[in-house]
Amino acid sequence: MTFPRLLSITLAALALTMGTAHAETLRVGMSGSYYPFTFVEQDQLKGFEVDVMNAIGESTGDDIEFVTASFSGLAGMLDSGRIDTIANQITITPERQAKYAFTEPYVYDGAQVVVREGNDSIKGVEDLKGKTVAVNLGSNYEDLLHELPYADQIDIKTYESNVEQDVALGRADAFVMDRISASQVIKDKPLPLQLAGKPFSRIENALPFRDDEAGRAMRDRVNAALESLRDSGKLSEISEKWFGSDVTQP
Amino acid sequence: MHALDVDYMLGLVPILLGYLPLTLEMAVAGMACALILACLLAVVRVRRLRFLNALAMLFISFFRGTPLLVQLFLFYYGLPQLLAFLVAINGITATIMGLTLHFSAYMAESIRAAIVGVDRSQTEAALSIGMTQGQLMRRIVLPQATRIATPTLMNYFIDMIKATSLAFTLGVTELMGATQKEAASSFLYFEAFLVVAIIYWIIVEALSWLQRRLEVRLNRAYQR
Repeated sequence: MTFPRLLSITLAALALTMGTAHAETLRVGMSGSYYPFTFVEQDQLKGFEVDVMNAIGESTGDDIEFVTASFSGLAGMLDSGRIDTIANQITITPERQAKYAFTEPYVYDGAQVVVREGNDSIKGVEDLKGKTVAVNLGSNYEDLLHELPYADQIDIKTYESNVEQDVALGRADAFVMDRISASQVIKDKPLPLQLAGKPFSRIENALPFRDDEAGRAMRDRVNAALESLRDSGKLSEISEKWFGSDVTQP
Repeated sequence: MHALDVDYMLGLVPILLGYLPLTLEMAVAGMACALILACLLAVVRVRRLRFLNALAMLFISFFRGTPLLVQLFLFYYGLPQLLAFLVAINGITATIMGLTLHFSAYMAESIRAAIVGVDRSQTEAALSIGMTQGQLMRRIVLPQATRIATPTLMNYFIDMIKATSLAFTLGVTELMGATQKEAASSFLYFEAFLVVAIIYWIIVEALSWLQRRLEVRLNRAYQR
């Protein structure tokens, strides 16, 4: 690191510290490939999650450092202390709650079945019997499918990424994802896909932290910031910007 | 079916090239470390140093016998759960370490084969004029072994460049990682992956050209 760069970083750090009690760096993991929540376009990391985390950083005075990795690797990075939280629409589940300290939910969503355009034989989750269904590795959608009474009749395929593409190509009959990003992808992107029926399970998404003293302290700080963003209308504003609707209210 | 989006592809080239230095840095660092380790392993194997030989064989067996991806996950995600201080190792370092250990196992065997492949008469001649074991290795055997090993070692280097694409699974955005992310937001998979394939191809072709020049140079002594 060169001296001028070191100096400017030190000065920036100083300037930040003066504003708040202690400015820390919050390392936020995300996949960077979950349109429109976290995605890279022209080398720029963007999306709803990026805006929310930056707003949280402004509120707490913390520096926000984004770390991108494949989705299935994020939990391992959180566990091993390489990141402090995951901003990737992590759904609160009993298993995850036992392991992590979650903030209050900031997105209310539903699990949605998506099929290839023109495939009207699948009208919802009850039509998935005997079908091949794609889900992302490590996502709760895989668990949701396994919980269905006829789960043994569904051929569940797990992917590192690109589930949308495999359904668009017809290799899988359907994929399951959250309703918000699925409808946004269908609206904005050139893939031949359509929603199949209504969302079949309510999901609440929040930020997980390590369940230790430092993690819980960070969680509490971020929770307070989320609450103030909610009260000031900033959270709704970010949601409107990306989705044209407010998905942050229950 | 959509038509090929050429503008998108051209726009992607400078963005992806920005990640090329990191890809090359990991490959070059991995290759340098792997060469050193492989030479040590090969000498241990050739000399059949009692205890070390067994250790080297175990090392080679493990790192050649398990997939690189498994090794990377084991070191990066697994080991820090046992030894907390290993968290300090970042994704780039972990990738370089993984490449080093994995490829040195392969390269040790081809260097060993090259050393053994140097004609025995060369050794006998060197010893007959009073060279020590060290001189024999340095002046006679290794220079000739280098010539034999070069083509396969270059092959491993080419393989290593492509193997750096696994670094994305450890949170490192290198050439492939950058492409994955651009593709995941544009959904123009064919365009994005075609661009990155061509970039890898050009790098490897440039290396092959270098390899041919190097081989001509190394063969000079053998041409009449």
